[in-house]
Amino acid sequence: MKKLVSAPALFLWAGAFLIVGLLLAFWWAPVDASAMGFSQKIFYYHAPIAETSLVGFGVAFAAAVMYLRTQDLKWDRLGYVSVRLGLLFAVLVMFTGMIWGKSSWGVWWAWEPRLTTFLLVCFLYAAYFVLRSVVEEEQRRATYAAVFAVIAFIDVPITWFATRLIPEGLHPVVFKAGDTGMEGSMFASFMISMIGMTLLLAALIRHGWQIELLKDRVTDLKSILGG
Amino acid sequence: MSGWGQIGAILRKDLIRELRTRDMLVSMALFALLAMVIFHWAFTVRGDTDLTYFTGGMLWVTFVFAMLLGLNRSFAQEKDEHCLDGLLLCPVDRVTIFLAKTVGNLVFLLIIQAVAVPVFVLFFVEGGFLEGLPAFLAVLLLADLGICALGTLLATISMNTRSRDLLLPILFLPLIVPLLVAATSATTLVLADGAGVREIGGRLLFMLGFDAVFLVVAWGTYDFAIGE
Repeated sequence: MKKLVSAPALFLWAGAFLIVGLLLAFWWAPVDASAMGFSQKIFYYHAPIAETSLVGFGVAFAAAVMYLRTQDLKWDRLGYVSVRLGLLFAVLVMFTGMIWGKSSWGVWWAWEPRLTTFLLVCFLYAAYFVLRSVVEEEQRRATYAAVFAVIAFIDVPITWFATRLIPEGLHPVVFKAGDTGMEGSMFASFMISMIGMTLLLAALIRHGWQIELLKDRVTDLKSILGG
Repeated sequence: MSGWGQIGAILRKDLIRELRTRDMLVSMALFALLAMVIFHWAFTVRGDTDLTYFTGGMLWVTFVFAMLLGLNRSFAQEKDEHCLDGLLLCPVDRVTIFLAKTVGNLVFLLIIQAVAVPVFVLFFVEGGFLEGLPAFLAVLLLADLGICALGTLLATISMNTRSRDLLLPILFLPLIVPLLVAATSATTLVLADGAGVREIGGRLLFMLGFDAVFLVVAWGTYDFAIGE
């Protein structure tokens, strides 16, 4: 069991799910009946990436709370790695969203609530790194980063809600309450891609976190040897 | 001294200090007035351009940037003269400091608005302002509260970093966007379409929620932000 969830195994699981999801999305799920047609296939990547990005920020939020409670720097490292990956995925959301937008709405950019929210999310979490870079003292940097990660994560749903206040209807609402709006084969392919992407995030966070902890250990050992 | 007494004492200190020099208030007010003039020229593409639908945007961009000036200033003084160390040595709860600072910034912003809003109305609003006054004031107070609460927390963080005032806009602006969206559209509805409190009720409620959430968050995290 332990081997099945080790770091390399997680990568393998993620890869397997993502490849199967890709194959199913293109060969099993039908071409979308609406005007979006074939371009809807990008949805099997776009939406899981978006979900994964938010999961990354969620992990960072949890790590920030843990850090503020325990003052243990290992949680700061987890938060740092999660925000880094969340931001990477958020940037990918922007790119895949723009490609989809161009093919289905005919424009590269539309001020649509979800896309706008992700743009702001990118700015927010870019600021997280600016904040980290201007505080020298280790413990204080971790504290400020944690406080900001908490505020930023709370702000994300509020931003999404606010951008919806302005009436807009461009984004294809694929999930509606009580009705998934998708055929079974589409839904299954989508879920497999989603699980694959989430596993990829888990593997990357785990890997990155281990590297950060090793770096800390090296620094500690160096100071012991040098001092 | 009770909690309210402590808040009052810190607030009185900040007000007295500011009224002696007045450099923060004067720069904020001048900035706000200048911004309006600049906006007029920036948006008037033709002689007969109707600026009514830009009013909400102009107003809130002006106040948010004016507040950024003020926030940086209010904490720079504390830091430069080591007043903050003194304040932290006092037997005062950190949350009390946060509340006093927030109220102080709110008072400064309201003073600026008392000067800038009449001029704004004179420049850009074509009559009917008094009917919309209750709705307008409701938007003003709710948005101000959110700006000051979040601004005070983030200014405290940025003041303790190497880049200080450079950092504040980068942290503050993306976080304040939801409040700005609501405040801007509500203000424009009031000033351009003559909407009353009822028509913008949803937006007011949203702003109230935003204020409540970030007051609670700031309350919970200010201890960490201000440092030891």
